[in-house]
Amino acid sequence: MRHDQPELIDALASEYVLGTLRGAARRRFERWRADNWHIATRVHTWEGRLMPLALGLPPVTPGADVWRAIEARISAADGSRSAPLRRPVMRALAAALVLCVIAAGGFFAWRLNAPPLQPVAMIKAAQGADVWSIEIDAHGAQLRAVALAGAAPRPGHSFELWALSAKTGGAPVSLGVLPTSGQLERTLDASQQTALAHALKIAVTLEPPGGSASGKPTGPVLFVVDLKKSA
Amino acid sequence: MTESAANPLDAELEKLIGACAARDRGALRQLYDLMAGQMLACMLRIVKRRALAEEALQDVFVSVWQRAAQFKGARGSARVWLMSIARHRAIDVLRSERADLYREAQIEELPELASDTTGDWSSSGRSAAELARCFAELSREQRRGIELAFVNGYSHADIARATGEPLGTIKSWIRRGLASLRQCLES
Repeated sequence: MRHDQPELIDALASEYVLGTLRGAARRRFERWRADNWHIATRVHTWEGRLMPLALGLPPVTPGADVWRAIEARISAADGSRSAPLRRPVMRALAAALVLCVIAAGGFFAWRLNAPPLQPVAMIKAAQGADVWSIEIDAHGAQLRAVALAGAAPRPGHSFELWALSAKTGGAPVSLGVLPTSGQLERTLDASQQTALAHALKIAVTLEPPGGSASGKPTGPVLFVVDLKKSA
Repeated sequence: MTESAANPLDAELEKLIGACAARDRGALRQLYDLMAGQMLACMLRIVKRRALAEEALQDVFVSVWQRAAQFKGARGSARVWLMSIARHRAIDVLRSERADLYREAQIEELPELASDTTGDWSSSGRSAAELARCFAELSREQRRGIELAFVNGYSHADIARATGEPLGTIKSWIRRGLASLRQCLES
């Protein structure tokens, strides 16, 4: 594009902001804008000029799920950005540091600072003994499963937890494999959070080791229990 | 603080965007509380379907979180910056979902012109008052074309279909309307 044609640049910027510059022309203009401060300035000017048209619309309140999904997505994005360490030396140092922290009991200090989780379901054996307590945090983003009695699946199998969500058309959404002893805590992704937020019940099935590979339950349903919803 | 932050809402939004750049999630929540409703209204008019608009709104706030540090050097008000990200995202979604939208939401009725029916958009600050003044100088057809494109995300062809006018006429209305606006706003 010739930069000595201010009228043409301004006309393109105005049609770009208006939204009538489409297709290949729009993409080409976006490339020019990214490379050229002068073009970007014209775009900003037109955005400021025309935006009052959109600011006059009556606000529409988003559904409650929207914010929860945003939180989950930025957690996931921030986590994945800090995770990869490119240099092997740095990776080794990081691994050593993690071991030291665990050895020093840092894990327990972290647990004390973690947001409180509330029990939302108790999974009981047929005889009435408590087998797992399922707990989630106030945002429905963190899930902890605590094995209370010895829960040993048949050899070569795992227990898998599912949210029975009305939102996904009744299709169960996996919440992960359950521990057979101790406890297991995990951060739920956006789809798991949405499913859990809309679920009235959770279920446990018997699956291959590590859980169902297909994302759908394949084994027998062992337990279905109600979720306690907070007021 | 930019010149436009003389508006208290813009000043507050600028402060919150700065806090987002410093990774303060509470600030993002406050931004959301202040702007999500207005952004969703704008996006919903363009993409027409609520589920799509809400999903695109998620994209916008994730993008704001990631790009907050870039706002410092951006020109214009915080509100315009946020709304622009929302509009461009909505237009991108519309582009990718276009065929489906045509099947589901036929353009049969022309929405009323905000500039004919309400004064809302012209009562929110100096730039809005200037736009209202210059908008009033355009022909009704030019105003209709510009509003349908900007507020409803209509293409030239959509507007031609909605008004029954030839495509060339629509392009001409819009081109001349924008040129007149520019002349008026810069005078």
